[in-house]
Amino acid sequence: MVTGMALRAERIVKNYPGVQALKSVDFDLRRGEVHALVGQNGAGKSTLVEIIAGSVSYDSGDIHIGDQKHTYLDPSRSIELGIQTVHQENQLVEEITVAENIFLYDLPRTRYGFVNLRSCIQAADVLLQELGIDVEPGKKISSLSFVDKKLISIAKAFSRKARILILDEPTASLDEQGRNALFSLIRRYTSLGLSTIYISHHLSEIFEIADRVTVLKDGQRVSTKAIGETSLHTIVPEMIGRSSQSLYVRDKKGRQTLEQGSLLQIVDFHREGVVDHVSFSVRAGEVYGIAGLVGAGRTELAQLVFGVDRSDHGSLLLDGKDITAGSPFNAVDEGIGFLTEDRKDSGLVLIQPVYENITLVRFVKEIKKKVKSLLNLAKEQDDARTVVQQLDIRTPTVSQKVINLSGGNQQKVVLGKWLFADSEIIIFDEPTVGIDVGSKSEIYKLIEKLADDGKFIIIISSDNPELVSVCDTVGVMRFGRLVAELRGDQMTEEQIVKHSLGVSVIKEPEL
Amino acid sequence: MKPSAKRVEARGRELNLSVLLSITILAVCIVATVVNPRFIRITNLVNILQQISVLGIIACGVGMLLISGQIDISVGNQVSLMGIIMALIIQRGGEISPDAAHAWMIQWSIPFAVVVTFAVGTVLGALTGLVVIKSRAHSFIVTLALGSVYRGIALLISRGGSFTLYGRFETLGRTRIANFLPVSIIFLVFVVLVTLVLLKYTRYGRFLYSIGGNRKAAYVSGIKTTAVTMRAFITVGVLNALAALILISRVGTALAGTADAYSLDALAAIVVGGVAITGGKGNALSIFLGVLLIGIVGNALVVMNVNPHLRGIFIGVIIIGSVTFSGLSEQRSRM
Ligand SMILES: Nc1ncnc2c1ncn2[C@@H]1O[C@H](COP(=O)(O)OP(=O)(O)OP(=O)(O)O)[C@@H](O)[C@H]1O
Ligand SMILES: [Mg+2]
Repeated sequence: MVTGMALRAERIVKNYPGVQALKSVDFDLRRGEVHALVGQNGAGKSTLVEIIAGSVSYDSGDIHIGDQKHTYLDPSRSIELGIQTVHQENQLVEEITVAENIFLYDLPRTRYGFVNLRSCIQAADVLLQELGIDVEPGKKISSLSFVDKKLISIAKAFSRKARILILDEPTASLDEQGRNALFSLIRRYTSLGLSTIYISHHLSEIFEIADRVTVLKDGQRVSTKAIGETSLHTIVPEMIGRSSQSLYVRDKKGRQTLEQGSLLQIVDFHREGVVDHVSFSVRAGEVYGIAGLVGAGRTELAQLVFGVDRSDHGSLLLDGKDITAGSPFNAVDEGIGFLTEDRKDSGLVLIQPVYENITLVRFVKEIKKKVKSLLNLAKEQDDARTVVQQLDIRTPTVSQKVINLSGGNQQKVVLGKWLFADSEIIIFDEPTVGIDVGSKSEIYKLIEKLADDGKFIIIISSDNPELVSVCDTVGVMRFGRLVAELRGDQMTEEQIVKHSLGVSVIKEPEL
Repeated sequence: MKPSAKRVEARGRELNLSVLLSITILAVCIVATVVNPRFIRITNLVNILQQISVLGIIACGVGMLLISGQIDISVGNQVSLMGIIMALIIQRGGEISPDAAHAWMIQWSIPFAVVVTFAVGTVLGALTGLVVIKSRAHSFIVTLALGSVYRGIALLISRGGSFTLYGRFETLGRTRIANFLPVSIIFLVFVVLVTLVLLKYTRYGRFLYSIGGNRKAAYVSGIKTTAVTMRAFITVGVLNALAALILISRVGTALAGTADAYSLDALAAIVVGGVAITGGKGNALSIFLGVLLIGIVGNALVVMNVNPHLRGIFIGVIIIGSVTFSGLSEQRSRM
């Protein structure tokens, strides 16, 4: 057992215009421990770890790494000091290969000083195999899925022998398998003396992996405790300032009530090698979940339905009327909304203010309705303020650029954009990624309200408890096929896992 | 190679930049006035505005285009080509013997030239947009190539010579209302105001910013990104046509390369005006101030009797100053 301090940060202060992100925070990390950092969206978790990683400057405070005091850090210094980081937002270079990204800070060279791509790819291949990540090292980052990018960020952090590993929401939208693989990696390296700072909104993970946990609230430290001396019931009130509400459970509508509503049919969507003849139907007012492992083709299915990608065939019928969308603008025209899983890539215009992001889809619809009037900026901002309040988005003003919001608050902006776009059919792809426990139930209530208003809701999620508590029906996908539909008593986490993995299916419900 | 910058600290950058530009403009005015009081005479100030009207009109179009994430460095060549075509038509009209039977031809050659110029502007804009969209190449490269094509066509038509208007088309470029206010300034102000409204108060303007800020997010939000891009290119073409009419009307003759320098001048003005070369940022007021600053510097150097060749150096310094300012107020949160 290794002992001693790997890192000590004292009285760290960080101010942004209009926001005090950290108000004199103390934090320490022992050798060989996993120290979890939890708190509401905007509490200051990412800011604290970014400071340690050297990618954000701090206004005052001391940072000791090992037994040296540092007054100045930048990313390359931090890396030299043995700190590796998986950032909350993807920071990979999109236009170069997976392998080059992994070894970005010391690329293998040829004799003449050029990058030796071949040995780079070989080394990456070895690493990826060792970590059990199934991605071609020669591929460009831009061609990868959101989750694969996340895995590559993790692989990159493990590519160097680090002393301190920072993981800022590494499991966001990973599935069970991915999470388990990551946890065994962390355990293996921890036993060798590696220290880990672990940030997650999945509190159950904290109790599984962490040795100690620190709660941050509004830029201040509330408590630091050994994991054995605390529990969910203590942590949640410390985080959100009120007692933990019981887990959200929706009143499921009976089949019979649903049967009376309009019928949306997804008929035989297919794209070679990705989605394999998927059909199912959703009733107005129904919340239909899609479960499955990462790579099961769920996001791809949504992209086909919404017209982002071309399908080989497939049609969308609303009460028998063909409303198949060949492109997103047709889809939006037909009243379909699609919250994509990668907010940075396709959800938000980061350099624009919060309000402009929230109202964008509405303007698209107004154009289609031939509305000609000039924009009323004051009213637009008022509307955005309502959304900001409803979703409890932490931002100094609605004119703040989205890029300056914390990750979870950015996610809420995308949600706001689609929840208030007034769509009849909404596909949510991992809607609550990165959102804190306090806000999740509020969001579920908003989704429920949409359903009660007779909308068609489809939710793709890797968070099985979420699906079970929110959905009326859960379809499970595996290898591009819809392999099961679970309702009522059948709809349990256990069943979902079973069908996702395809093990010992005793009675397959007919589709 | 650094990973893409994450968060930026930005607070009302556009506003700050326009304040800074205004201060700079004021400073240049003061210096010029001290050196030569004639600078501040109202006739000289009106002159400056008249001189920048062509640049201002071009810059508004290219500015909107740049906000949407596309660039057009062929605008100068477009204006030159349209100038040639228009002057050719008017010159031919003037060469016809002025007997009664041909009087209508002389009369109609001018409206005809105007219509043709706008038609050509629309076509050039549409063509550029089409090639950019279909080739999927970067618009910088595409317009570099197209600019060369337009220059070639202008040379072919003019055979290296020039066309004159025989003073028959002076309204746009030279006429002054009440003997004081040039018509071209009215056009400039009108175009700037329309650009301002378009960018700030219309859905189309909002789409330009969204596409420039994140094309994919705009697409998934249901915006017809290609249609909007196409429209932005056509707008550039139409404004170029207006610029060509004003320019040739003022100068009185058209050469194949008359307006080529406007390609880079417009870009310089827009960048000074704070439009990000990567798209998604900028506003009409700052673009106008950028144009004004460049115009005033040019004029001030002449009035102060400084070697006019210094103009290029000054403009270079201004560009660097402006983008440095933008960079400083929007750098990564560390530093
Ligand atoms: N560049 C910036 N400019 C302005 N404010 C910022 C900037 N970066 C962060 N903030 C603010 O600092 C606060 C802390 O943000 P931080 O990203 O640390 O939160 P977090 O705890 O990681 O939240 P989440 O769970 O949502 O990821 C937030 O209120 C955020 O809006
Ligand atoms: Mg964060």
